[in-house]
Formats: sequence, C-alpha cells, structure tokens
Amino acid sequence: MSVRERGRRALERLVAASAVERALISLASLVLAVAIGTVIILVAGRMTTCDAAAFVLTHPTSVGVPGLFRVGIPELFRMGFCHDPVTVFDRLFLGALADPLSPGWDPLDGQIAVTLRETTVLVFTGLSVALAFRAGIFNIGTQGQMVVGALATALVVLWVAPLVSGVVGAVLLVPFGLLVGAAFGGFYGAIPGALKAYADANEVITTIMLNFIATGVVLFLVSEVFKDPASQANQTVPLPDDALFPPVLFGGRFGFSVLALVFALAAVLALAYLLSRTSFGYDIRTSGVQPQAAEYGGVDARRTIVASMTLSGALGGLAGAVYVLMILGNFETGVPAYGFDGITVAILAGNNPLGVPFAALLFGVLKSGTTVVQFATDVPPQLVGVLRGLIILFVAMPEFFRMLGRRVVPPERGRPTEPGTAATDGGRFRGDDARSADGEQVRGGGGDAVDGPGRDPGGGRE
Amino acid sequence: MSTLERVRRRGADLDLGRRGQAAVASGVAFAAFTALGLLFPGTIAGTLVDVIFSAGTLSSALRLSVPIVLAALGGIFAEKSGVINIGLEGLLIISAFGAIYATDLTGNLWVGFGAGVVASTLLAALFAVVCIEFRADQIIAGLAVWLIALGLAPFASQVIYGAPNTTSVRTPPSAADVVLGLPVVGDVLRVLVSAATGFGAAVVTVATGLRNATGGVPLAGLLVEAVVTVAGAVHYVVVVVLVGALVEANVVVYLTFLMVALSWYGLYRTQFGRWVRASGENPRALDTAGVDVSRVRYAAVLLSGVLSGMGGSALSLTLGQFTGNGPTMVNGKGFIAIVAYLFGNYNPVGAFLSTLLFAGLDALQIVLQLRDVGVPNQLIRVTPFVMVIVVLALVGRTRIPSAAGEHYESGEE
Repeated sequence: MSVRERGRRALERLVAASAVERALISLASLVLAVAIGTVIILVAGRMTTCDAAAFVLTHPTSVGVPGLFRVGIPELFRMGFCHDPVTVFDRLFLGALADPLSPGWDPLDGQIAVTLRETTVLVFTGLSVALAFRAGIFNIGTQGQMVVGALATALVVLWVAPLVSGVVGAVLLVPFGLLVGAAFGGFYGAIPGALKAYADANEVITTIMLNFIATGVVLFLVSEVFKDPASQANQTVPLPDDALFPPVLFGGRFGFSVLALVFALAAVLALAYLLSRTSFGYDIRTSGVQPQAAEYGGVDARRTIVASMTLSGALGGLAGAVYVLMILGNFETGVPAYGFDGITVAILAGNNPLGVPFAALLFGVLKSGTTVVQFATDVPPQLVGVLRGLIILFVAMPEFFRMLGRRVVPPERGRPTEPGTAATDGGRFRGDDARSADGEQVRGGGGDAVDGPGRDPGGGRE
Repeated sequence: MSTLERVRRRGADLDLGRRGQAAVASGVAFAAFTALGLLFPGTIAGTLVDVIFSAGTLSSALRLSVPIVLAALGGIFAEKSGVINIGLEGLLIISAFGAIYATDLTGNLWVGFGAGVVASTLLAALFAVVCIEFRADQIIAGLAVWLIALGLAPFASQVIYGAPNTTSVRTPPSAADVVLGLPVVGDVLRVLVSAATGFGAAVVTVATGLRNATGGVPLAGLLVEAVVTVAGAVHYVVVVVLVGALVEANVVVYLTFLMVALSWYGLYRTQFGRWVRASGENPRALDTAGVDVSRVRYAAVLLSGVLSGMGGSALSLTLGQFTGNGPTMVNGKGFIAIVAYLFGNYNPVGAFLSTLLFAGLDALQIVLQLRDVGVPNQLIRVTPFVMVIVVLALVGRTRIPSAAGEHYESGEE
C-alpha cells in the first residue's frame, strides 16, 4: 500500500470515527431509548388500574381557524393511560436538575447535590471500565473492585482515625482513605488481570464471578465480624467526621462534596494524559488495538494486562472510597450498581476519559431523577434499568444509525463508508483505526514495526 | 465415509486433551476425598461425603442444572455459529418471568412454559438483528440484552404484581407422578420399583443370614463381610440415589436430558449442525458453498433463545414463582452456563457434565447451609463462583471458533 493511499484511508477513518459522530450516536441512542421507554411507560400504564387517567391519547375534536370557523369532529378514538410519559421524563431529567427551566432555579439545590454526588462516583467507575477497555480488556468487575475498596477504606480509616486527631487528621485521613481504597481495589482488579495474563482465563467470566464473591465475602465480614452492634442493618460503625469529605457549598446532608468532584475531574485529566502522552499509556492503547503488533514492538503483553487491570481496579476502588467517605460515612452492604453503570458510562463515552464526565453526568441525572420520578409518579423505578440497557444496545450498533443516515442523506460522491470503522469500543477490535486516528506509528523497530498489513481481524479478541 | 474415518471423527468429538486431564485429576481427588470421608465419618470430610451421596443432593443437583444446561446448549449453538451470546443470563431472566406471568394468566403450565420460550426467543431475535444486521459488537450487545432483561422483568413484575416478586403458581409434576398415572406403563413401573425395593430387602436378609452363619469362621467371615459391604454400597448407590433421584425428578429434568441428546445429534450429525460449525470456523467457505451465513447465524441465535427460554421457564415454574430482587432468581446462572460450555469444549454432553459439577456444588452448598459445619453460610454460598474461577484458571484458554465475535460480510452485495 502506498503512503498516499494509506494517508487517504487514515483520513477517511478519522472522519468516520470522529468525535462528533460519536457524540451524535450517543445522543441518538439516548433519544431512541427515551422513545422506547415512552412506549414501555404507556404499556405499563394500560396494565395498571387507576382512578383517573394521567395521560389520554386521542385526536383533536375540532378543527378550524380561531375566530373564523370551527368544525367539530366526533370522538372516534380515546385511550387513557395510568402513567404520563411526559411527566416521567420531565421529572427524570429536569427534576434531577431541580427544574433549571423554571424562574426560581437554585443551582445549589439539594437535588443537584444528589445528581453531582452520583456523577462523581460514576466518573470513577466509568474511568475504571474505560481504561481496561482501552487495553482490550472487558472489566465487568468494577462493581466488585468498588465494594472491596469501599469496605477496606471504611475499616482501615476506622482503625487509623483514633491515632491522628484535629486538623492534621482532617488533612491526612481523606487522602489516606482514598489511597487505601485504590490499593485494595487495585489488588482485586489485579486478580482477573493475572488470571487472564498467565492462565488465559476469560476476564468477562472471572470478573463477574469475582463480583459475586466480593458481595458474598463482604456480606459475611460486615454481618459477622465488623458489624456495628448498635445497628440492625449490616453496617460498620460511623467514621469520625474528620475522616470524611468536608461539604463545600452544598449542605452536608446531601452527601456531596465539591472537593470530591474536583478530584474526579483531576482523575479524568490525569488518565487522559496518561493514555495519550506517556509510554505506559501508549503500551495500553497499542495492546488494546493490536496485541500482536504491540508485542512485536517490545510491549510486555502480560505485564501490560496486569498493570492496566490493577489501575482499572484502583479506579474502581477509588469509587468505593469516595462512596464511603462522601456519601455513606460508614460501610453498609448493598452497594448500588455503580460498577455496572460504569460500563454504560464508558461505552457511551467511547472509552475516552474526556468523554466520561459527560456520560457520567447523564447517568447521574438518571440515578438522581429516579427518586424524583418515584416521588412524583407511580412508575416503578426499575424503568431506569431498562433505559440503561436500551442505551447500551443502541450505542453498540452505530451501523444502525449510519444506515439511517445514509437513507436520509445519500452518501456524497461515493465516499466509501467502510463497515465498522467507527467502533463502539473506541477502536478496540479494528486493527489500525486508533493508530491512524491518533496520527502515530506503533513504536519500536524504527517506527516500522507494523508496516505490514495492519488490519488483523479480531486482533483484540484472542 | 469409511469406517476408519468415522472412528477417527468420533475420537475427535470425544477428545478432551487438557480438559480431560483436569477432569481425571479432579476425579482422583474426589475419590481420595470420598475414601477419607468414609474412613473418618466424624470429620467435615465425613459430613460432606454423607451429603454428597444422598438422594436429595443428586436430585437437587439435577434440578439446579436444568436452567444452566439448557442455556449452555443455546450458547453452544450461537457461539459455534460465530455469534458470542453473552446475554444468556438475560434470556433466562425474561423467560423465567414470562413463564410465571403466562401461567398465572391462563392457569396452564404448558402455555406458561411456551410463553417463556417465546419471550426469550423474541429477545434473542432482537440480539440477532442487532449483531448480524447492524454489526454491533457482540459482547456489548449481549451485555445490553442482560441489562434490559434485568430491568424489564422486575419492572413488569412491579407493574403487574406490585412487587419485584410475582405471586405463586402451581408447579409442574414430577416424572414419577406423570408416569405412574399412565394406564399400563404406570403399573409396570410400580412393579419395577417394588422389585427394586424387594431386592434391597432380600440383600439385607441374605447378608444378615450369611453374617450369622459365618460369624465364628475367621477368614470366611471377613470375606463375607467385604462382599456384603460392596453389595450394600452398590445397592445403595443404584437404588436409593440414582433411582430415587430419577423418580423424584421433575419432568423438566427429562426434557433437559432429551435436549442434550438432540443438541449433540443436531450439532454433529446433521446438515444444519455442519453449517453452524462452518459458519463459526470458516464462514467464507460456507458462503462459497452457497449457504447464506447470515441465515445460519440467525437460526443458531434463535435456537439459543429457544433453549435458554426452556431453561428460564423450567427454573421459575419448578419453583412456582419469579423473584426479581437484586440479580433476580437467575443469579448468574447464565454466566455459569457460559463457563460450563467452555469447560465442556462446546460439546453438549461435555457442557452437561461440567454443569452437573457446578450444580452439584451448588446443591452441596444448599444442604451444607442447613447443617452446621462451622463455616458461615455467606461463605459457603460463594463456593460455586470460586470453583468457576479455579476451573477457568486450570482449563485456561479454550479454542473459540475462529470466526466467533466477528461480523461476516458476504462478498456479493
């Protein structure tokens, strides 16, 4: 392949997989998921019984021009529903943001604090999944890593807290707690990493199993060993206030601290820098898009797998630490499914760290809005779970939207729209896409290591 | 096909390699453990052996393996055809709910069972369209199938029953009830069962007589004692454990046996099975031979929906209720099914045997939770999951069909 031709193909791919397209696909997925959610709400509304219909589907009973004439139409069709989808989605999205469109909007409202609090945790779990994804590893175990990190943070901080006191304690304990969470989460993430690297065990299965194991073992530890004797619930004794994230701007009772959000955004930038500017990040990305080439270029594949899984687990552990130090103030069993939402966040963000905060905000809104919906309507809160699945499903099929797009706008001058160029997985499976998009060459052997046919079908899967 | 070739092919079907070694190793370990338990009945090993060799454990292992085996069979067809179906868990969830709902509505178990299968097949069809038509990433789409079902089933239950758990419906009969009710076959079976019981009583009588007669003779007494012990053990295992478990077993257990046999036959002995395997290994060749790869893959994924649907329906109907809290009543069975068929090397019979291993462990932990063995229940509960990881680490890499996970684009467009 000539240099020119290769450049041309690279440009094509760059255009096809551009960030704009990604954002558009994510948006379209959201809209489509909401549309199907509407149908589900309507169907559910037909199956429930209620005194008065909350939503009526009918047609106008008169047409005409106001003031001139008016023709009445007999009512032919009328269908009542117990749930009003408009209210549901209004509460879900606007309610979570404390009604930004109404005149008396208070940006420091409690509901916004809840939304941002959920967002903060989701940023960490999203980063965790996204990082592993970039290395070509499907880490479904963020939930387990988070649970392990959360419990470890709570226990170790409880143990250390009496040793330090006062201002020193406040300054030291939070970073220490975060460190502990990261360490334990990282260790729990390293297990499936090592199993994959050295025993070839499929990480999708091992991480799911490790989630079940983490939940079971933590339940045992909290209910039998570290239980707060004064409490009915399976929880530890409360952590001292010094050891928690101090509430800034928002009141303390919402469990949100701006400091934690700032820390989350700093983690986003750090990870983006790590992935795009450091040699370790480079190893991760090349192993993700083309493991053979990476290995040929001098990357130790096994070490990279373990290292990226450890880092991914550490981010999951951080999510757990933040959950304990900011939201709970102790550890209680039954940690919400932030880890699974992290998968959605990462996929929606195209596994790009810089996209993670936006996707996390969307899911923070969905999570926080769920409670508002529950308060305002009778629609079961599990609806949000369905929406989450639908969004993933649609984001997974960019080709669907491209086909739609091609039907609406025919391709110009036969520009080849290559199948599967903009991958849902950030180019994980597609040979040289990501390399071209980044405008870089795979390192080693004078930059010509992968000069051969760069396209290796399924290179990322084996 | 020559006889030699046929024999060689059969050998290839049965060749287990590293997996076989692992199986033999665990067999030896199990035998050693059993001996330990028999020699020292008072220890934990003794309790475990006691539990393992009870009819209750085997029958609950069979019951627990039903949804896993059926989902695994479905997963085999899908993955052999080149579509990795990681959404088996979701298919089980949706069919488990659908079966209960339809049974509750109609009062007919068969309609309920069928409705579960239909629900699962519809979801599988959605997955198939998304993967084959719209070239979605199969892993992500499979994950989406799981998450959709995980949300939808409790949502529907909440809408219809006002709680994540449904009301209870009646359960399907055990095989013995069905067969004993039949006119002639039932009588024959009754005679057989009483014959078996009578044989057992006769063995005991003869043994006691022999023992009494040879009590004073040193060597003969020992010999007779040994023979009596072995005969007693064989009688116990065959009559009490096997017959007991099989007679007690629900009809869905027999359905599972049937499906394992049919799947094996379908995959290795029919034209469709050859197409499925070719579609996963070398879709280009299949295409060249004039077979539509997409259609084969659609059929295989739909089949995985049908089989998983049977599994989910059987799961909820035998318990008479769908429970939708947390990870729902399916609770990871779909993922264990994936491990089971990987461990069974995509062979339906292998998948069945490895499922029996996991389900046996699960049955064991349920029994152990009831007895006090000094280990907390929360920890006993995680043993099947630990076992899955250990198995995966030992078996390691499984050779997945070479075109699995990839979209296939026919040359002619």
